[in-house]
Amino acid sequence: MKCIIPGANIKVFGKAIHSLSKIGEELYLEPLEHGLALRTVNVARSAYGCFVFAPEFFYHYDNSWSGPEGEMGEEEETFKCKIQMKSVLAVFRSLPTLERTVDRCKVTLDEGPRLVFQLYCKHSITKTYNLTFQECETLQAVFSKDLCPNAITAQPKLLTEVVQNFQVSLEEITLIVSPEKVILKNYVESEPDPSKVLHTQMSLAAEEFDYFQIGVDTELTFCLKELRAILAFAEAAGMPISLHFETSGKPIVFSLEGDPAFDSNFVMATLADLGSTQGSQSSQQQALNRPSTSKTKRTAKRTQQQTRRNESGMMENRRFQENRQPNRSCAGGGSFLPMDSGFDDMMNDGMDDVMAMGANEMEEALSQEAAQQRNGTSLHEASPERSGSPEIPLELGKRPRAHYPEEKPTSHDQSHDDVSMVMEEEEQEQEDLVPGTPPSKRFRSMFFGISSQSQATQAPTDTAEVLCEDTDDED
Amino acid sequence: MSLSTQQGDEDDNNILVAKVDNARNISNILKAIHFRDTATVFASSNGLKVTVEESKCVQANAFIQAGVFQEYTIRQDSATFKVNLTVLLECLTIFGSSSAPGMNTALKMCYAGYGSPLQLLLEEGGVLTDCSIKTMEPDEMLDFGFSSANVENKVIMKSECLREAWSELDMTSEVLQILMSPDKPYFRLSTFGYAGSIHADYPKDSDMVESFQCEQTQTNRYKLSLLKPSVKALSLSCKISIRTDHRGFLSLQYMVRNEDGQVSFVEYYCCPDEEVEE
Repeated sequence: MKCIIPGANIKVFGKAIHSLSKIGEELYLEPLEHGLALRTVNVARSAYGCFVFAPEFFYHYDNSWSGPEGEMGEEEETFKCKIQMKSVLAVFRSLPTLERTVDRCKVTLDEGPRLVFQLYCKHSITKTYNLTFQECETLQAVFSKDLCPNAITAQPKLLTEVVQNFQVSLEEITLIVSPEKVILKNYVESEPDPSKVLHTQMSLAAEEFDYFQIGVDTELTFCLKELRAILAFAEAAGMPISLHFETSGKPIVFSLEGDPAFDSNFVMATLADLGSTQGSQSSQQQALNRPSTSKTKRTAKRTQQQTRRNESGMMENRRFQENRQPNRSCAGGGSFLPMDSGFDDMMNDGMDDVMAMGANEMEEALSQEAAQQRNGTSLHEASPERSGSPEIPLELGKRPRAHYPEEKPTSHDQSHDDVSMVMEEEEQEQEDLVPGTPPSKRFRSMFFGISSQSQATQAPTDTAEVLCEDTDDED
Repeated sequence: MSLSTQQGDEDDNNILVAKVDNARNISNILKAIHFRDTATVFASSNGLKVTVEESKCVQANAFIQAGVFQEYTIRQDSATFKVNLTVLLECLTIFGSSSAPGMNTALKMCYAGYGSPLQLLLEEGGVLTDCSIKTMEPDEMLDFGFSSANVENKVIMKSECLREAWSELDMTSEVLQILMSPDKPYFRLSTFGYAGSIHADYPKDSDMVESFQCEQTQTNRYKLSLLKPSVKALSLSCKISIRTDHRGFLSLQYMVRNEDGQVSFVEYYCCPDEEVEE
């Protein structure tokens, strides 16, 4: 692999890495046919960012790689690796300096094995960064912007100015759209006393946007921190930013497509809203008989998905469900890690499902999914970003993960990782197996139609249907 | 505003009297070596030499020649005392460290010999400050035994090209490796941190390199934590000379031009971490 970035583009490249660094801690690098892909996902799997730099972006672009044979005996076709964000940020630390002093940047793979970034600077000075990396599977979110009924395009300046009006410490922001206007306000539902908190709200008329098409009125809540990172890049690049979304619970896609030389997409999970739409879906869940689904909403979404999917898709889902069930803890359905092969089930689940999964379940899921991959149940190839469902399944190979604490949250918690445990509590309550654990705040709040702070909130509105068995039983 | 009108009979007791119109000419240089709290001042007829040492491995010297002062008198051959450098710098910058045009802090420094405090009189805009800093028994200074005769490799380059590299050195690396060679890569700074290894190459034909004399290839490692403070001196200086001797000892010399165009020197000596045989 060998790519040479011209001096003029180094700033953009560096800025892309800076914005990805605000989302995740590891940078996934994959030189594809159509360009160099830089991707990341956050720890909670609720935000994903991807930049693809086309060959025109480079002086020289060569993605060939003669790697070792893969597990199946065939040759690995592309080089895939992940590097620590901290390491690669060391290369692009000071962007003004880079802009001023660097003539070009060469990225190659060295026997070492090291990923080598060489900066050829003015005055014949050369800086070489030999970075360690880990080989990994492709990190790929599967989502489709085209299937989203709502699409807005705005100049980054507009959104930046709007976002500046909100408190710096604000974590989540709510976007309410209707065909005439857009309202942005800070998310206060999770506050114990919403009337004591500062409310900020801004309205923008449809005319302020470059493109405004709303098919479904909706209210979405997502993380502001990542939006800020996206906007920082968009403003620096001077490119209009497009939002593609559907409803709460479904991911929102931010994309920047102005420059032929590169593409960027950011997918973020949105908080599932407990609106009326959920209630109507709960009745459908019974028909599905999906043992490994823990939540009404997830099932409901699956139902929705099914109506859109073709026959084979559904078949795959069921089989996948069956395969997964024994290893799957009920929480979260492990759905945010749809792997490229045979994980269509995950494709059906929204990113909010992603939140539901704790780290341990993830590892389980991963190993199981990795096994599935090897078994060749692959029905869905690792596809470029524009294919598949509007959900955001992520493809990911074996990844070691930090272990998250497994204590049952007895108080309102904001950790996405603990949501799985919360889910289990809810399960138990639904089964009338109350083991003495106090009901989670999230659970109660769901009844009152108030979502929790976590983006993984599911919406078991009024059902006591047991959709998934306890992990306890499976152990 | 000069303090000549402040002469009194204190001067008879003072073995050292030094006056300068702009205290920043002194304080800026001292900031370049301020990585420990205490410093040893050696005053001679040539001027002041202020020394700071760390771990018996690194020594920094600031040379403020007599010519930098508007008035410099010393009654003995030399005087040596130890003083708290942090306090001294705070006194010198007591009127603030910003450089407002036209408003300079004038300084008169007096020392009456062994045991007496270092007296500072500072004046700016009619406001007078009187400081008396306790002096201490000077410690024995290291003698690195670095002589020009033993210098094997020497590079003189403009400071600006090294500044960014030095300030962005990977601090997760324990050592800074300096390679100097008559062959490629000529001059290379390397760190070995968690991220991997990072090398900065400065070829001898670069227009940033003013002089390049290398007899043989030498690779030496120095503790990064000891050398990192020299970034202050680097940022103040316009030129840097990097020399290593046959033992691998490192000498960094910085040429600092003060606000009035006068030149002073700052020097860092560092002993190598381990011998790397070539």
